[in-house]
Amino acid sequence: MNLKWKLMVASLKMFFRQREAIIWTLLLPLFMVLLFSLADFGGTDRTPIGIVNNTGLRADSVLTMLQRLEFLDVKEGTQHDELSALEAGERDLVLVLSRSNGRTEVLAFGSEARQQAFELASALVQHTLDEVTFQSSALPNRTLLIPRMVAGKNITYVDFLLPGVVSMSIMQLGVFGVAFSFVSLKKRGILRRLSVTPVRPGDFVTAQIVTRLIIVMLQIGLLVGVGVLVLDVHIEGGLAEMLVVGVLGAFVFLGIGFSIAGISRSEDQVAPIANIVAMPMILLSGVFFSRGHLPGVIQWITSFLPLTYLTNSMRAIAMDGASITQVGPDLVGLTVWALITGAMAVKLFRWE
Amino acid sequence: MSRPILEVRNLVKRYGDLVAVNDISFDVLRQEVFGILGPNGAGKTTTLEMIETLRAIDSGEIILDGINVKANPLEIKKRIGVQLQSSSFFDKLTLSELLGLFGAFYGRNVDPVLLLGEVELQDKHKSLVNQLSGGQKQRFSIAAALVNDPTVLFLDEPTTGLDPQARRHLWGVIKRIKDEGKTIVLTTHNMEEAEELCDRVAIMDAGRIVSLAPPRELVDVLLAKGFKGERIERLASLEDVFLDLTGHSLRDE
Repeated sequence: MNLKWKLMVASLKMFFRQREAIIWTLLLPLFMVLLFSLADFGGTDRTPIGIVNNTGLRADSVLTMLQRLEFLDVKEGTQHDELSALEAGERDLVLVLSRSNGRTEVLAFGSEARQQAFELASALVQHTLDEVTFQSSALPNRTLLIPRMVAGKNITYVDFLLPGVVSMSIMQLGVFGVAFSFVSLKKRGILRRLSVTPVRPGDFVTAQIVTRLIIVMLQIGLLVGVGVLVLDVHIEGGLAEMLVVGVLGAFVFLGIGFSIAGISRSEDQVAPIANIVAMPMILLSGVFFSRGHLPGVIQWITSFLPLTYLTNSMRAIAMDGASITQVGPDLVGLTVWALITGAMAVKLFRWE
Repeated sequence: MSRPILEVRNLVKRYGDLVAVNDISFDVLRQEVFGILGPNGAGKTTTLEMIETLRAIDSGEIILDGINVKANPLEIKKRIGVQLQSSSFFDKLTLSELLGLFGAFYGRNVDPVLLLGEVELQDKHKSLVNQLSGGQKQRFSIAAALVNDPTVLFLDEPTTGLDPQARRHLWGVIKRIKDEGKTIVLTTHNMEEAEELCDRVAIMDAGRIVSLAPPRELVDVLLAKGFKGERIERLASLEDVFLDLTGHSLRDE
């Protein structure tokens, strides 16, 4: 026990005294989130509004007019769907059109969480309606938007991005962190020196794994902490759930890291192999952008990637407040991967 | 007379067609410094590594302190101290932390500063290994080999690559460890070092031991055969001149 403890303390000390390791594993993901939070990739130039047509007319005059406006991104749907989209922060404004006394009445729904976006969008729409009214004799009376507010969430791109970057950094730590450090220990003869002492390789490897799990937890805490305190990120779910999922994910990627360390003779061999494993996942597992835009077949295939499971579950917890049972299917996926990569590591990792 | 601390019997190591260690046998007695000499590739390091449990023994037997190396490598590891050729250590731990950790490998609580004092590095206990000079690194490596108070200390070419001052200083350290009653097995291809430190030497060539005796005896045998050195015996060597001009003090601290 004493030995395992000392090994763990020693490897933690080694990690935190390594400037490059801290920059790459702890600060780089943080920097990434900060940088991306400045560039709002989530929004488009056009104002997203939803229209619910309850007039019974196929082409209501107000509706036709709104659809022609280029600065609006108009989605049509049922009242239920559009109001949920509004609550989720995906619409700035939802207009519900109905007929009363031969006229079109327009209810303008806004989200309390996004008051400003609502006011801007309704001003735009009102202004356009007025302009058209004055030019046309077909609409003799001014159509007024009747505001209605609903409670809602204000989801920004950073809310979406943060759990993605958390997942990605767990992968990087497992794959690159482990592979580089073990190949270096091997190459510099340090493992050889350890093998003439009675220390069991298993104890040493266990200490290294535990150390990395601790670092993963610190990393999640740091990213979430800075996100919430500095970037005003909304985390709906619990940090505990994120830690559980993160640790499970870490096992998967530690397995990959140890496997790469097993088949690489030098640091030069680690980089290309680790990149071949990591890059496709960074691009295809929905870290930075929603996977919804991927072509169907690719979307289906990449849904089985370990980073996809990790990102999906992390995001479900962070954005929707999902519980562990709600992300159960993803956790099953991660567990299967952990068993596969664990078995691979046992087969490929060599002390010498 | 007590049983030799180390008995090597008919030891063989092959790498494909190459026989790196070819049926060698020798004993190391308690509290002696035993040198294995030979040119590069003679099989010195391979022999040492088989005793240290680092390499599989193809055939033959090694008994250290009554324990069979092949049958019980873990017990051997607990009893030996090893300085490997060009061995390195974790680079972000201080010398004290490293010795504490290595002590823990043996279930021991060591006093790092005391141990560093043995190799005259007590002032460096807060340094990192990569802040040390070549001679200091070798001395630290010996300190790390001493954490378990080993029965036999193995030093593989401990002074290779050191300048004369550092080499002589390291000799002093090794002699002091010997005087404290440790058994030491070392390899070298420096003959002066063998004469200076070793009670007995085995000279290896091409995987075999070609001669084994105290250094003076080997010289006497050669002289008895009528050998005459080409140079007239001089009272001083170029190294003496070098040390006279540059002093005995260490350059690395």
